[in-house]
Amino acid sequence: MNALLRVEQVSKHFGTRENGVTAVDRVSFGVAQGEFVSVIGPSGCGKSTLFHMIGGLVAATEGRIDVEGDAIRAPHPAIGMVFQEESCFPWRNVVDNVAFPLELQGMARAERHERARHFIDMVGLHGFERNQPSELSGGMRQRVSIARTLASQPRILLMDEPFAALDEQTRLLLGDKVLQIQQELSQTTLLITHSITEAVQLSDRILVMSFRPGRIKREIVVDLPRPRTSDAVVSPAFGAYVADIWNDLRQEATLGLAAADRRRTSAA
Amino acid sequence: MAAAARMTGTAAPRLAATLLLLAAWQGLALSGWLFQDVVPPLQTVLGGLASVLSSRDFYANAAITGAELLVALTAGGIAGVLVGVALGSSRFLSGAFERWVNYLSPTPKIILFPVLIMMFGVGVGSKMAMGSVSCFFPVAISIAAGVRGVDPALLRVGRSFRATRAQTLRKILLPAMAAPLVNGVRLGFGVALIGVLLAETKLSNKGIGFMIMEAYHRFDMPRMYALLILAVAFAATVNLLAGRAASRLGGQHQGTLR
Ligand SMILES: Nc1ncnc2c1ncn2[C@@H]1O[C@H](COP(=O)(O)OP(=O)(O)OP(=O)(O)O)[C@@H](O)[C@H]1O
Ligand SMILES: [Mg+2]
Repeated sequence: MNALLRVEQVSKHFGTRENGVTAVDRVSFGVAQGEFVSVIGPSGCGKSTLFHMIGGLVAATEGRIDVEGDAIRAPHPAIGMVFQEESCFPWRNVVDNVAFPLELQGMARAERHERARHFIDMVGLHGFERNQPSELSGGMRQRVSIARTLASQPRILLMDEPFAALDEQTRLLLGDKVLQIQQELSQTTLLITHSITEAVQLSDRILVMSFRPGRIKREIVVDLPRPRTSDAVVSPAFGAYVADIWNDLRQEATLGLAAADRRRTSAA
Repeated sequence: MAAAARMTGTAAPRLAATLLLLAAWQGLALSGWLFQDVVPPLQTVLGGLASVLSSRDFYANAAITGAELLVALTAGGIAGVLVGVALGSSRFLSGAFERWVNYLSPTPKIILFPVLIMMFGVGVGSKMAMGSVSCFFPVAISIAAGVRGVDPALLRVGRSFRATRAQTLRKILLPAMAAPLVNGVRLGFGVALIGVLLAETKLSNKGIGFMIMEAYHRFDMPRMYALLILAVAFAATVNLLAGRAASRLGGQHQGTLR
């Protein structure tokens, strides 16, 4: 496969060798141009760590990550990140939030506002350009963050559980929005999630991670027709994928819960 | 609306307190209990105010004190912001130096005045230095706290978009700290004014502090009170304006900062 993004044997240890955590253990995969890939795994399995390494914010302990052969050592211009946490600038209105990366590039005000408006429309926030983030719902703020990253026109869109804090209905509708955007832009996307339906709904391929050490346990090609919408969620084929992945993840999630229980009892 | 209601709510007791104070003053002045002129009657103080405000001397001295204050705020403020940002963003620097800032901060800066006179002379230089040193500490401390309070998620966004150091400072750190910044400058202004006036009362031949001491030495109480009233009014006005600016900035990012 001719990968745009390539992750090769990447590991991350925190702490010392004897007394530490291996958050990510020898993970390898590639993402091709135009492909939508999801990484799914239970809470604490190392997804965000992997996300930060690909984004160039955290150095890998071992292995190599590259974009078309260009090794990532710092945030790479080809990669645009959308974070798990709230990350709108509270003192900027929607337009100025979305125009932020363009402002950093030194684009003139009128031009960057025009470009920002285009992406604001794309995420369905037309009419909210002048609102402050504090006047928007959580889902709307997360869409502002997505529009902001899209405005920087990254070749690879990298998202870490962008809808984790939202309710299931909003999540499905935003999923539709993401599908639509990805079709419109043929946006190469790597989505990190712990929602199985979200992964199946959106992806061409799903990488299932195991809990500690965080490894890629399995790869699933989602062979559902495109264009997709949230309606697909009720189809039998969709259900089969979900059940299959849940089977895999259940073991890992159980391990995760057990680890959390152990921590709780040893802390008490 | 809410502000107007609050104003009317406290306006009456505030007015009453002011009138009571003025009446007590006048009563004391007319009672003859104190040595004559220590508490001059209100009409005499008003007369003093009028004569001060109509003298060219006052404006010349006010301009000097104002210029000293401006230099103190600029120099002390910029140094405070720089040191505050350094302390707030480097764990090493804060570990090494922050305790010194915290120890020196409550120390009365007037004890440094002799040193400052030797370094900057008996003229306006030493007053500017006094004000700068005073202003530096509250600004540095509130900026350091402000930097630490900046949401790390926002800094990560900046890094992911490959913001330069200058861009990070200008477009993320400073706006995220607008409220602590204004607050620090407000505190800094207060102590800078104290520093400048105090230095002027100690050793100088210019400025409002000097005029106050001169009036005192000549036992010109109406003039002295008039100058005190003007100094207090000036400080109160600036404080009020800075407070308004701070609350406007705070209100802009409801809840997220503060
Ligand atoms: N800076 C760090 N120092 C030490 N340990 C860390 C650090 N960051 C993450 N870890 C550990 O690495 C493991 C993976 O964390 P990570 O945040 O990548 O999980 P995650 O899969 O994103 O979880 P979630 O779904 O809850 O977001 C966790 O056990 C965590 O405690
Ligand atoms: Mg995470």
